[in-house]
Amino acid sequence: MHKLPPKAPFSHQNWQLMPGVVLGLGLIALVLLGLGSLLVMAGQLDIGSVWRSPYLRGVVVFTLWQAALSVVLSLLFALPVALALARFSQFAGRSLLLRLMELSLVLPTIVAVSGIIGVYGRQGWLTSLISNWLPDHGWNLYGVSGILLAHVFFNAPLAARILLQALEAVPAPQLRIASQLGLRGWWLWRSVQWPVIRLILPGLAALVFTLCFTSFAIIMTLGGGPAATTLEVAIYQALRFEFDFAQAALLAVIQLVICGSLWWLAFRNRMQGSLMPNRRFGHPILLRSSRPQRWLGAALLGVFFVFLALPLLAVVLRGLPALVPTTGSSMLYSQLLPATARSLLIAVPAGVGAVLGALITVAAARKAHGRLVMAIPTVTSYLPLVVPPLVLGTGLFLLLRPSLGNTAQGWALVSFINGLMALPFVVQVLRGPFADLDRSSLRIADQLGVLGWYRWRWLYWPLMRRPIALGLAYGIALSMGDFGVIALFGSPGQPTLPVLMYQQLSSYRVSDAAGTGLWLLSLLVLIFVVLSAVGRPVHSGQAARAQSPIGEPRHA
Amino acid sequence: MLEVNQVSFRYPGVTTGWQFGFSVAPGQCVAVHGASGTGKSTLLNLIAGFLKPDAGSICWQGQAIHGLPPWQRPVSSVFQDHNLFEHLNVATNIGLGLHPGMKLTNDQKNLIEYNLDRTGLSGFGDRMPGELSGGQRQRIALVRAILRRQPVLLLDEPMTGLDPKARHTLRNLLLEEKARGVSLVLASHDEEDRKILADQVWNL
Repeated sequence: MHKLPPKAPFSHQNWQLMPGVVLGLGLIALVLLGLGSLLVMAGQLDIGSVWRSPYLRGVVVFTLWQAALSVVLSLLFALPVALALARFSQFAGRSLLLRLMELSLVLPTIVAVSGIIGVYGRQGWLTSLISNWLPDHGWNLYGVSGILLAHVFFNAPLAARILLQALEAVPAPQLRIASQLGLRGWWLWRSVQWPVIRLILPGLAALVFTLCFTSFAIIMTLGGGPAATTLEVAIYQALRFEFDFAQAALLAVIQLVICGSLWWLAFRNRMQGSLMPNRRFGHPILLRSSRPQRWLGAALLGVFFVFLALPLLAVVLRGLPALVPTTGSSMLYSQLLPATARSLLIAVPAGVGAVLGALITVAAARKAHGRLVMAIPTVTSYLPLVVPPLVLGTGLFLLLRPSLGNTAQGWALVSFINGLMALPFVVQVLRGPFADLDRSSLRIADQLGVLGWYRWRWLYWPLMRRPIALGLAYGIALSMGDFGVIALFGSPGQPTLPVLMYQQLSSYRVSDAAGTGLWLLSLLVLIFVVLSAVGRPVHSGQAARAQSPIGEPRHA
Repeated sequence: MLEVNQVSFRYPGVTTGWQFGFSVAPGQCVAVHGASGTGKSTLLNLIAGFLKPDAGSICWQGQAIHGLPPWQRPVSSVFQDHNLFEHLNVATNIGLGLHPGMKLTNDQKNLIEYNLDRTGLSGFGDRMPGELSGGQRQRIALVRAILRRQPVLLLDEPMTGLDPKARHTLRNLLLEEKARGVSLVLASHDEEDRKILADQVWNL
């Protein structure tokens, strides 16, 4: 009849839909299996025992309380910072500050904690400084204050970036009108800023709450005792030291119920906007600002910068002498190098797996029709945030136990769970670029028969190479910094970098720990630099100009 | 012969719909005329298979094609803009029309070169669409559509916004296609386009 274009391999649309659906269903099954095997192990589940035991009651109450307080403090700090960054778009150091804020997502908790100790700890810079003036200040980092400080250190920049992104997504004409009318202060807030912030606030609060609620490494290092223990740490203790599976399962169920219902509340009215900073910024429009406003903004951003930079500086300055000793060669490397190899062995497959999982999830989300099928990729992209990785890991461990013997298999499990934990973040990185192909491009591609493998090769791959490299960097970095799953399954004799660092910290080899921290930090920076170079298109000059008329994505 | 029989379509959530019916013989051009919002683009999208009709049939040489996916229909489309993949160079943009996986024979590569020369774009193969003018982009889109050698060309305001010289080049290319026996469905605001290209004008 007429000439048909050659058929593309894998062009049936199920190739786009089914892998993601299978992954989603598999993930749900895994969570159910993991939890189920714990419950079976536990035998009888007695919710009432939580309320009878003052210890468990204390754990639940403390977990809720510190998470709520962390959310309030982080948002209170993040909101003015985001507003100031949205208003002042052209000052020197703005991009440096933004990058510093990006770092918080991938900075290993244990490294940040050692930096925080270096600044606010007993012998920390700031503490010593204040002690000179005020000898009886009574500040103690270990306990609630340290936990809150660390949570704000991690979550305020994350929240500020998400808020900034929402603020910069305000349509330009609307801002121009606001600018023309000279709207300021209360009226600008009411008419332009609050409407966009209101949309993402519930989701953002839920995200920060979940991250603080399930916080592990910070509590382990800064908690300082049973008075400040969270559910996640209690689960760890029940599993590792008391072998009390019943209690672990019970606590895990409580955690799932609390986080799950919170997300349900936040998402009940479909969430607007993206919860992950997607690293794309619009063209800012100048808004009127008065002189005091400028001073206030500058002071605020200055304080924020110092707050973020000081702990990092502490890591670098304290770590440098340990890594590059002035006399003789460092003994540290004999421990560092094997630990690095182990970390990479776990993190690289985890990162690759997270990227592949994210790609098929994003593809399935685009193809899915119908409420039920559409829910599956959504679940894949959020479930790992809510399910405690320790619980998942333990459940699987129990499930596979008869056949799970040697270390390699344990590591494979750790790598697998780390990949799962990174999945939600990588999905957020890839989702935006994946939706970049506009409708008319897709129509043309349909007509030409650029389908299946060909569509991936010629349309998606060139567009997504950079985001994929970035997602890979996130995935690897998050797994490299993991100090939760590995604490449970790793053996102390064969530590990964974060575990090594924790061992050094807890045996008061502070300078060794600082060296390990700096090493880990440099490794992460190296991963980001290398992968962002690899992801750059070959003829970067032309392509970059043609691809991004909206403004260059800014890379770490 | 392309036949559009009693095709009706309504966008979801909109009360008023459209009904279309006409036919074009090979080597003929029908110009669809009407103010914006009268359904010109909708009609072309229905024929191309980007939209599904609520009722009616679309036939080519007596065979129903309205159930086929876009890639199996005997048509090539040129829109007013956004015809090119912005991240692929000119040669690749055209080449994907010849083989959707860019598995091109040497003859096909030469064909692309030849047609770039013929349309005054020699040496443009390596350029990115973002560097080109509107007229150059439309010429490339049309070259791709022509090289696909499909019997029906669907043209949605392909010359709107171009300068007189560019319009002239495009019109000549289209006249050549007509002479070759290709059926044209042209949506255009422009009186001169209709006068030069169309054999019949149909008011929406």
